[in-house]
Amino acid sequence: MDAIVIEGISKSYGDVRALQDISLQVGSGEIFGLIGPDGAGKTSLFRIMTTLMLADSGSGKVCGLDIVKDCRQLRRIIGYMPGRFSLYQDLTVRENLDYFATLFGTTVRDNYSNIKEIYSQIEPFADRRAGKLSGGMKQKLALCCALVHRPSVLFLDEPTTGVDAVSRRDFWTMLARIRDAGVTVFVSTPYMDEAAMCDRLALIRDGSIIGTGTPDEIIAGFPFRLLSVRGRRMYPLLKELRKTPGIVSCFSFGDSHHAAYRPEETGKEKILASLSAAGFGDCTVMETSPGIEDCFMWLSHR
Amino acid sequence: MWKYLLEKEFKQFFRDPGLPRMALAFPVLMMLVFPFAVSMEIRNINLAVVDSDRSEESVRLLEKCTSSGYFRLVSLCGSPEEAMRLMDGNKADAIVTISSGFGTETALGTGFPVGIKVNTVNGTRGSIAAQYLQNCVMMYLQDRSQHDGLPAVSQTVDISEKYYFNSLLDYKLFMIPALIVMGITMITAFLPSLNIVSEKESGTIEQMNVTPVSKSAFIICKMIPYWVIAFFVLTACLLIAWAVFGYVCRGNVLWLYLYTFLDIVVMAALGLLISNYSNNAQQAMFVIWFFAVIFILMSGIFTPVASMPDWARAITCLNPMRYYADAMRAVYLKGSTPADIWYDAAGLAAIGSVMVGWAIASYRKSL
Repeated sequence: MDAIVIEGISKSYGDVRALQDISLQVGSGEIFGLIGPDGAGKTSLFRIMTTLMLADSGSGKVCGLDIVKDCRQLRRIIGYMPGRFSLYQDLTVRENLDYFATLFGTTVRDNYSNIKEIYSQIEPFADRRAGKLSGGMKQKLALCCALVHRPSVLFLDEPTTGVDAVSRRDFWTMLARIRDAGVTVFVSTPYMDEAAMCDRLALIRDGSIIGTGTPDEIIAGFPFRLLSVRGRRMYPLLKELRKTPGIVSCFSFGDSHHAAYRPEETGKEKILASLSAAGFGDCTVMETSPGIEDCFMWLSHR
Repeated sequence: MWKYLLEKEFKQFFRDPGLPRMALAFPVLMMLVFPFAVSMEIRNINLAVVDSDRSEESVRLLEKCTSSGYFRLVSLCGSPEEAMRLMDGNKADAIVTISSGFGTETALGTGFPVGIKVNTVNGTRGSIAAQYLQNCVMMYLQDRSQHDGLPAVSQTVDISEKYYFNSLLDYKLFMIPALIVMGITMITAFLPSLNIVSEKESGTIEQMNVTPVSKSAFIICKMIPYWVIAFFVLTACLLIAWAVFGYVCRGNVLWLYLYTFLDIVVMAALGLLISNYSNNAQQAMFVIWFFAVIFILMSGIFTPVASMPDWARAITCLNPMRYYADAMRAVYLKGSTPADIWYDAAGLAAIGSVMVGWAIASYRKSL
């Protein structure tokens, strides 16, 4: 059975259409990533799925429970970690954990095995107030609080925003273990490089889903070939590349430009030649394989 | 679960660096400092005198005025113009002019050539000064008729005042129930609403809303600590009033608690309403300030409701503090029972039911 099924969810804030006709299926026991830039509507979708907000239209089920009618029962079986740290800063680590366990009618001891691995890392600071923890520690505590009642589905809204690279990698390792324990993980992130860690993902932009599938499926759907171009004058180079015939799109990608081209119309040598003719003789051009970000850029500008 | 929700609120309350100290300092400050500070007793009225008569009688009249303790004789002026200059320079609050022939005319009973001028830039001070001066003149006339057996001039009108329930016109006694009213309102309406708004601001309320805890249980547990504190403050204030000033409640203390309870219900609803319509503490603070000022000024605590114009009096009917303050004063000073002041209970209950209904409806929607 699918853990999450939503159909035709739309939501507007006044004139702003935050979500437009969103439909998704998330299988039980997978990490499902919702990937999109800031303002794409990720948090709105989370708030609707976690019963915090009502959609204007559409319906949804989490573990077979309707997100509107059965919201009370649903709240018992989901865990939600909002993007912003929202535990009680003036309570200690242990008190926060006890508090949330009690609210779900359980105790930390009963579920210790469930959170042990994460909690053991912050246990030395159990008597410290939550507000005095470092960012990574806060995030671990929030995760513990969201897991303490053994939820079937865990909703994580941008859990890695503002977290350093090492902690981010650790975090995804933790998510994989949580998934292995049988919990469905629904996670959003603005970082395209994290998409590869998900079992399946949905790309969202301006309130619409622009693609779903496993990371491999999405990458396989990329219909062009890709060149990584590097040069000295990057911005004029970008403008020149966009003018070059046969190049479908070109975006700046870290310290290089990714240019997608139709292989039937042009090729690496041809592009290099046209760049030299335009006065960019000093650039290096490399064939590269597309990543999720390339797919996202293509899908969102299609 | 309720126990744990409450435990958490109390923990947070006592962990706050300021709140517990405030809860202790508030009643002490309120009872020990404010009764003196907000006193409306007017003393040290600067008096200028123009005595053109300089007779034995005029000196007796002036003595009567200065011996009352309310006036301070600043100057004996030679002319009314000189006295007026003093008043213009804000050196005199009142001028008594005694025309020549005062002694003979009063003795003959043909007239009473005394003029009183009062500076009413500060209206309260001015009108009270005028009243005091008139009283002094009355007392002088009474004395004269009693001791000297001479015919009194304005004996046709005899005003004698007797003050009930606060015979010495002790302003402190009058203010103590009112101060309690203000304190309880602050604690039960405004602190919880700030607390709820701060949970909104920090996002913790969102985290609470995804738990199975019902919203009403959450809110009630938020308010209970403030109710406990309110009753603590009420008790502390009554004890301080008794220990320091020797004032005791004339009526049954139980009625004070009953009316306080009614007020708390209204105020809790108001606090919840404010928090429902504010997204951050700044907005909430402004709304609170707005209500606090209106409540206090339109409640009859400082200025009697009866002396307000009709339209202002109509507005006070919507002010819960008016009923609560009236009830607290009636019980504390007069020993009234709910049978006497049923209308205060009715007013609070009417406002309360509207507010509670509105607060609950808007709270449900606010999510």
